[in-house]
Amino acid sequence: MEFPSGAGSIRVLHRVSLDVAYGAMTFLVGPSGSGKTTMLSILSGTLSPTDGAVEVMGERLDQMRDAELVRFRRRRIGFIFQQYNLIGTLTAAENAAIPLIADGTKTETATRRATDVLAQLGLADHAWKLPRQLSGGQQQRVAIARALVHEPALIVCDEPTAALDAEAGQGVMRLLEDAAKSPDRAVLVVTHDDRIYRFADRILHIEDGRIAPDADHGEPRHAH
Amino acid sequence: MLNIALKMLMGDRVKYLGLALGIGFATLLMTQQTSIFIGLLTWGANPVLDVREAQVWVMDPRVRQADQPEALSDQALYRVRSVDGVAWAAPYFRGPSTLRSADGALAAVTLIGVDNQSLIGLPPANRAEAANAIRGRNAIVIDRGTAHLVFPDGRDPVGQTAEINDNRVTITGETRALTTFAGLPIVFMKYTDAISITPPERNKLSFVLVGARDGVSPADLAARIEAQTGLRALTRDQFARAGVDFIINNTGIPLSFGIAIGLGVLVAVVITALTLAMFITENLKNFGALKAIGVTNQQILQMVMGQAWLVGFIGYGLGIGGTAAFIFFGRNDPSLQGFSLHWQVVAGAALVVFVIVSASAFFSVRRVLKMDPAIVFRG
Repeated sequence: MEFPSGAGSIRVLHRVSLDVAYGAMTFLVGPSGSGKTTMLSILSGTLSPTDGAVEVMGERLDQMRDAELVRFRRRRIGFIFQQYNLIGTLTAAENAAIPLIADGTKTETATRRATDVLAQLGLADHAWKLPRQLSGGQQQRVAIARALVHEPALIVCDEPTAALDAEAGQGVMRLLEDAAKSPDRAVLVVTHDDRIYRFADRILHIEDGRIAPDADHGEPRHAH
Repeated sequence: MLNIALKMLMGDRVKYLGLALGIGFATLLMTQQTSIFIGLLTWGANPVLDVREAQVWVMDPRVRQADQPEALSDQALYRVRSVDGVAWAAPYFRGPSTLRSADGALAAVTLIGVDNQSLIGLPPANRAEAANAIRGRNAIVIDRGTAHLVFPDGRDPVGQTAEINDNRVTITGETRALTTFAGLPIVFMKYTDAISITPPERNKLSFVLVGARDGVSPADLAARIEAQTGLRALTRDQFARAGVDFIINNTGIPLSFGIAIGLGVLVAVVITALTLAMFITENLKNFGALKAIGVTNQQILQMVMGQAWLVGFIGYGLGIGGTAAFIFFGRNDPSLQGFSLHWQVVAGAALVVFVIVSASAFFSVRRVLKMDPAIVFRG
């Protein structure tokens, strides 16, 4: 994967390949500029590689047209962003329902389903609140509900605890840990936060666009 | 997704209200100024439109509009009457004069002299009473709408004595003339009285008003009169239009109103484009997140267009409502007489607002449509 830079271009990822297991939480860690966000973007179908093949869950993303990529993301990927990216004027339930509504589910049905997921995440009493009425941890839980509501096979998390204090971060990770227990779901987390490494089933280190062999980064639950 | 879009918009009350009020103000400016402009143009036609019986107006070839007549010789009346197809022809005097009320106050007026027998030239409003009132010698009938310019203290003009060009006259009745562009008080007299109290001139006949015989079209009759008399003859519609054209071609009114209407359009463009662009910019990351989640460009376009159209519709409604209220509450004010909200203005403003909000929304949302959804992962 290359990005233009000045007169030339910078190669960000070099022939990388990684396995993310179902039923497990995989962490991708590395210093700034190492290529982990680019990796996450390519795997989630939000960025197309300049060359090479990208195969995710048996589908060749590099061969998909834009509309197919959008459909792939909508149905098979759940996103959790660093800054939550909740829409401030929508309630928690409405925010969480967006992936279903975008896929054509009726608003009432989608919101009902989102409310159920919010209840599973301990936000039953907050479903009709606006994001500004929620704490950072609660907002990230709404974002998790949005990522889970359409039952995707892969959840990608970009620095999910970066904007949270330690306690809220741990709470969020416990919920993601639960989400990752599903045998038909994989969770990929990009993070700098070594306080949460213990939640990882596997930790992959990326540096200069290359994934290093599995290494010990503290206390992963278990390594694959 | 439209529900989501509308909630996004309405949740941001400052921008939502700012947009609606901005578009409302712009619509008000456009429609109100256009209505006033059309009303003023109509005033140019009103001296002709107020004489409903006359199908053809005959005048000196140099005349350009009703308020600037060139006097004809009395012979013109007889020459016109001799044209085949003329059912009747009546003399009509129209000219500026001065009226001094009993308390010495002086007012410029438009003096109209109508045919003694037929009274053709008297406005249709309150016709029977005015016709009775005007019969006496040196009796004048005054336009109710502009009488306050002669009697600003609000006293009843009927029964008052006054002087026109040093000739004693008595106001014996009221009528209601259509407002004219000159805006002067209008007083009516019998034709012979009018020419007898105006300063001596060789010719005094302003116009010859003509009715066509059954089966003869006014246009054909006007052509015949021109061919046979060498005078200018215009149908009622043609002469009314000439009054409108005179205002368009000889005053700064079209430019002034054009600027005001243009400012309305500009306000709408600036407010809509800037506010929508600001709304999009502030929500860029959220739109990026929506794109990443799987919302299509088409859905985002629908969302932003839906937002723009809703706010455009509300703003347009506010503006049209404001203009309608202005016209409704001003309907009894003579200075606003003839102003109305024409359906063409309503439709035209709707089209302008629709184009502005659609174009603004489209140009604002282009950034989002081109945006890489991976932006949401970047700092």
